Amino acid sequence: MLRAVGLLALALLWFVAPAIVRSQALPPPGERAGAATVPRVPHFVDETDAAGVQSRFDGDWEYTVGGGVAAFDCDGSGLPSLFIAGGVNRSKFYRNRSVRGGALKFVQERAGLELTSTLGAYPIDLDGDGTLDLVVLRVGEAILMRGLGDCRFARANELWSFQGGNQWTTAFAAAWLGAEQHPTLAFGTYIDRSQQDFPWGHCTDNQLLRPAAGDRLGFAPPYALKPGYCALGMMFSDWNRSGMPALRVTNDREYYKAGQEQLWRIEPGVEPHLFAAGDGWKPLQIWGMGITSADLDGTGYPAYFLTSMADNKLQVLAAGAGRPEYRDIAFASGVTAHRPFAGGDVHPSTAWHAQFADVNNDGWTDLFVVKGNVGNMPDFAMLDPSNLLLGGPDGRYVEAAPEAGLLNYQRGRGGLLVDLNGDGMLDAVIVNRWDRAKVWRNVGAGSASAPQPIGHWLQIRLRQDGGNRDAVGAWLEVEASGRVQRREQMVGGGHASGTLGFLHVGLGEATTARVRVLWPGAKLGDQVLVSPWFDAAADRSYLLDRQKGLAPWRP
Amino acid sequence: MAALTTVLRPDVLVLRPPRRTVSAALFASLFLALVLVAVLAVPLATRAQSTSVAGSANAGASGDAARYSAAVATEWFRVVLPAIQQTPGQSPPVAARTLAYLSLGLYESIIAGIPGQRSLTGQLSELDSLPAAQPNEVLHWPTVANATLAALTHMLLPNAPADWNARFDALERNMPVAQSADFDPAQRTPEVIIRSETHGRLVAMALMTWARTDGGHDVLGPRRVRLDSQYVSPSGPGAWVPTPPRFVRPLLPNWGSNRPFMPAAQQRCAPSGPPHYDESAGSPFYREAEEVRRVSVEPTEEQRRIALYWADDPGKTPTPAGHWAWILTDLLRDRKANLAMAAERYARMTIAMSDAFVATWKVKYEVNLLRPVTYVQLVMDSNWVPPLMETPAFPEYPSGHSVQSGAAAAVLENFFGSDTEFEDRTHNDRGWGPRRFKSFRAAAEEAALSRLYAGIHFRSAIDHGVKQGRCIGAQALALVTREAH
Repeated sequence: MLRAVGLLALALLWFVAPAIVRSQALPPPGERAGAATVPRVPHFVDETDAAGVQSRFDGDWEYTVGGGVAAFDCDGSGLPSLFIAGGVNRSKFYRNRSVRGGALKFVQERAGLELTSTLGAYPIDLDGDGTLDLVVLRVGEAILMRGLGDCRFARANELWSFQGGNQWTTAFAAAWLGAEQHPTLAFGTYIDRSQQDFPWGHCTDNQLLRPAAGDRLGFAPPYALKPGYCALGMMFSDWNRSGMPALRVTNDREYYKAGQEQLWRIEPGVEPHLFAAGDGWKPLQIWGMGITSADLDGTGYPAYFLTSMADNKLQVLAAGAGRPEYRDIAFASGVTAHRPFAGGDVHPSTAWHAQFADVNNDGWTDLFVVKGNVGNMPDFAMLDPSNLLLGGPDGRYVEAAPEAGLLNYQRGRGGLLVDLNGDGMLDAVIVNRWDRAKVWRNVGAGSASAPQPIGHWLQIRLRQDGGNRDAVGAWLEVEASGRVQRREQMVGGGHASGTLGFLHVGLGEATTARVRVLWPGAKLGDQVLVSPWFDAAADRSYLLDRQKGLAPWRP
Repeated sequence: MAALTTVLRPDVLVLRPPRRTVSAALFASLFLALVLVAVLAVPLATRAQSTSVAGSANAGASGDAARYSAAVATEWFRVVLPAIQQTPGQSPPVAARTLAYLSLGLYESIIAGIPGQRSLTGQLSELDSLPAAQPNEVLHWPTVANATLAALTHMLLPNAPADWNARFDALERNMPVAQSADFDPAQRTPEVIIRSETHGRLVAMALMTWARTDGGHDVLGPRRVRLDSQYVSPSGPGAWVPTPPRFVRPLLPNWGSNRPFMPAAQQRCAPSGPPHYDESAGSPFYREAEEVRRVSVEPTEEQRRIALYWADDPGKTPTPAGHWAWILTDLLRDRKANLAMAAERYARMTIAMSDAFVATWKVKYEVNLLRPVTYVQLVMDSNWVPPLMETPAFPEYPSGHSVQSGAAAAVLENFFGSDTEFEDRTHNDRGWGPRRFKSFRAAAEEAALSRLYAGIHFRSAIDHGVKQGRCIGAQALALVTREAH
C-alpha cells in the first residue's frame, strides 16, 4: 500500500512539478504569460566613477534621514545638472557635461551651492524669471538659492524676506494656489534638536510660507501647521482634480505620539484645514519616509505610493473624488516591497525615496524605490537593495532590479529617475548614507557602448507667462496607442529629492502621439483652462508654451 | 570635689582628684595660676611679634607666611598640572577653573599670615566670607597651605585616575619631610599641626561650597551633560557648524554663563566683534580667511613648531592655563619666592585665566562665528583642511588661547617686569623645550599667533582676544589685597 502511494506521488511530481517551475519563471520578455505581457527590462550601467561623481552623505543623528539629490537644467543645455546633499560634508554641484546619448559625465563646479548641513533640495522657479532656483533643506536654516543663470546661485533669504528658521527640515513642497502669482511653500520638519536624549514625542511643527502681497516675490512669516508628526515627505497634489492641490504629509510613526498621515486643504486667504476621519480621511500610521504619485489606472485621479519600513502602501481612491478616502492596493499590485528581493537578508526593508516613472518606455508606469537600513538597526535588513518594479497593463508590478543591473546594497536614501544624457531613457541616481552617491546610465536593450531604446518616448517641458513659469500644478495628457497617460507637474515628493524640467512619457511602440495640458487650476474635464491637442512625433523633446503652443525644444 | 585640669596638650586629659591636705590645695592653686599665665601669655607673645594694624580680623596670628619658601605651593602645582592632563573632563576652560580655585584656596588659607593683606571676600562674585583663622591661634602656614591644597585637589579632581590620588596623598603626607626647611618640628607642635590642618581644610570646604554654585562644577555629571545636550546651535550666514573630520557637537556651550570670579570684568573687557561676515572676494572677512589659508597651506618650520608648541591640547598637555601656571611655578622656584608672594601671584594669574575662559566662551557662543575651515571650504578651496591640527569643536571668535595668554602675561608682567626674559620649560619632557622668551608679552603674542599658523583662527579673533585678555588681567591686578591704612 505504501509503495503504491509512493509511486503515485512520484508520478504526480514528474508531471506536475515542471509545470509549477515553468509558471514561476519569468518568461522571455514579450511572451505572453497568462493574460499579460511581461515587461522588457532596461539595462543600467554604473557610471559613478567614469562620470566623476564623488559625493558622500555623512553625519550622525541629524543625518539619519535626508540625503537627497536635485536635478535641474541650469545652463539651458537641456541636460540636468546635479546638486547632491552632503550632510556634514559640504553639498556638491555637478555640472552635466555628458554627451547627448552617450556616457554620463559630470564636473564638480563652484556654483554657490556649497553649503553645510544639507539634507536635500528641490528645484523651482520661485521668482518667475525663467531661471530655476533651488530650495535647500538643512539641519538649521532652510536656504533659498536664487538661480543667476549659467549654473550660478546666490542666497536669497533676505532678498525674498524668507525666514529660514533653525529646524531639522526634512521635507518640502510648493504650489501656486488659486490666482496667486507667487508660490506657497511648505516645509516639513522632524524632531526638536534639543531633545536628543529622548526624541519620542518631540516632533516639531511644519511650516507654511504664504507669498506676501505685492508684485515682488516675498514671503510672509512662517505659519505653523500644527500638529507636526515628524514629516519626511510632502507633496502638493490635486488628489480630487478640483483644480486646487492639497498638501499631503507623510510622517514617521517612530517619533510621534497619536499621530498619523496628514492631508491639508490649503487655499489662499483661508485657514488651513486638516482632513479628518469625518471627511473620509482614514487614520494611517506608517514610518512614512517618501511619497510619489501617478495616475495609474487612467481615471485621471492620482494614486499615492508611500514608503515605510516593511510594507509600503499604494493608495487609490475608495469612494470617489468627493472624499479623501483611500484603500491600499499594494499587495494586489505586487508593490509591498517589504523585504529584500536579493542578497539573502530576510529582515524587513526600510524604504525612502520612491518615484513613478517609465524606465523602459513601454508606456506603462514603473516604480523605483530606494532602500537602505536606517543605520545599524539589527531588526531590519542590512543588505537592502533598492527596487525597480516594472508595471504593465494588468496593474501588477514585477521586480527587475537584478536583471536591470540596478543593484544598490548601500544605505540608500534619496534618489531620482531622470534623463541625464538627453536620450529619452531615464537614468538613475541614488544618494547613500555613509557612502558614495551613485549614478547609472539607462542603455535600454543595448549596452554601454551601444545603447538601444526599448520603446519610444516624449519629453515635454511646460511654459507659461506669469509667476508660475513652469506651470506647476498643470496636468500633461499624452494620447498614444488608444490610451491617455497623465503627468502632474509638481514640486515636492520623493525623499528630499526633486527634479523639474521635462515631463517624460514612454510611448511603447507608438511613433506619434497627441499632447495637451490642463493648466494650473483646471478641473478634470475642464474645457477652459486646457490647451488644444497638439501632434507630436516620438523620440523628441518639446516645449509646450501656453501662449505659443507646441514646438521642438532647443538648447 | 574634683577639679578638672588640663594641660596644653589637648590629647592628654588629666583628671586629678585633689589631695585632702592643705599643701595639696596650695599646690593646686599655684598650678592653676601657672596654667592661666601660660594660656594668656602665648597669644600675647605672638601678638607682639605681629605688625598688623588694629582692625584686621586676624591680627598677629602666628608668624609671617613670607618667612617660608614657596615650595609647598610650587610642589603642589608641579603635581597637579600633569594630573590635570590625565584627568577626564579637564578641557581648557575646566582646567583653568580648577587652577583658579586651587590658587584662591591657597591664598585665602594663609591670608592671616600675610601682614597687611586682606582677603578677596567681598570682591569676588558672591563670595562674602570664608573661615578666618582665630586671632589667638598659632598656625604653621606651610601646614595650612599643604592641607588646603590637598583637600582642594581631591575635591576639584575627584575623577583623577587612582594612581594620581595615591600621589596626592603621598605628597601631602611627605611634604613635611620633603620640605623640611619649611617644616621646623619645633614650630610644628601637635596642637599647631592639628589647628593648621583644620583651618586649611575648613577654608577648602568653604571655598568648594561656594565653587559648586558657579555653574562649572561636575562637568561630566548627568545634569551638566543633559543641559549641554539640549543646546541647539543658531543657524544663518556665518554661523558656526561642526567641523571636519569628526563633526563633533559644540563643547560646553553653557560655560559662558558660569559665574566669573570678578563680577565686572566681562562687561568692561568685551571685544569689539569680528568683521562683518561676507563671502565676496576682497571683503575684510574674505581677506582674513585668505590669510589663514595662505599661511597654513605651507607653514615654515618655525611656524609649525610654534603651532604645536602652544597647542596645549587637553589630554596631551596641562592645557593652556596649565602652561602659564607652569611658567609661573618655574619663576617662583627660580627666584626663590616666598609662600606669601607665591599665593598672591598664583591667585591673581589663575583668576584672570579662569575668567578669561568664561568671558571667551560667552562671546564665542553669542557671536557663534564659523571656523576658517568651514569658510575656506565653502568659498575658496573645497578640499582645504588645517594641515597641523583638528579644529576645536566650538565657535571661533574670539581665540581662547589669545584671551587667556593675554590675561596671564598681563599679570606676570606686573610682578616680574615687562621686559623680563624668561625660560619656558613646560614642554621639556616632550623634547620641545626649553624656550626662551624676551618678555611675557612676546610669549603671549606668540601663543596667540600660533592659532593662525594652525589654521584654526582668523586674525581678528587673535588680536581682539589678546586685548580682551590683557584687560581681564588688569582687572585681576586691580583686586585689592592690601589693607587700607
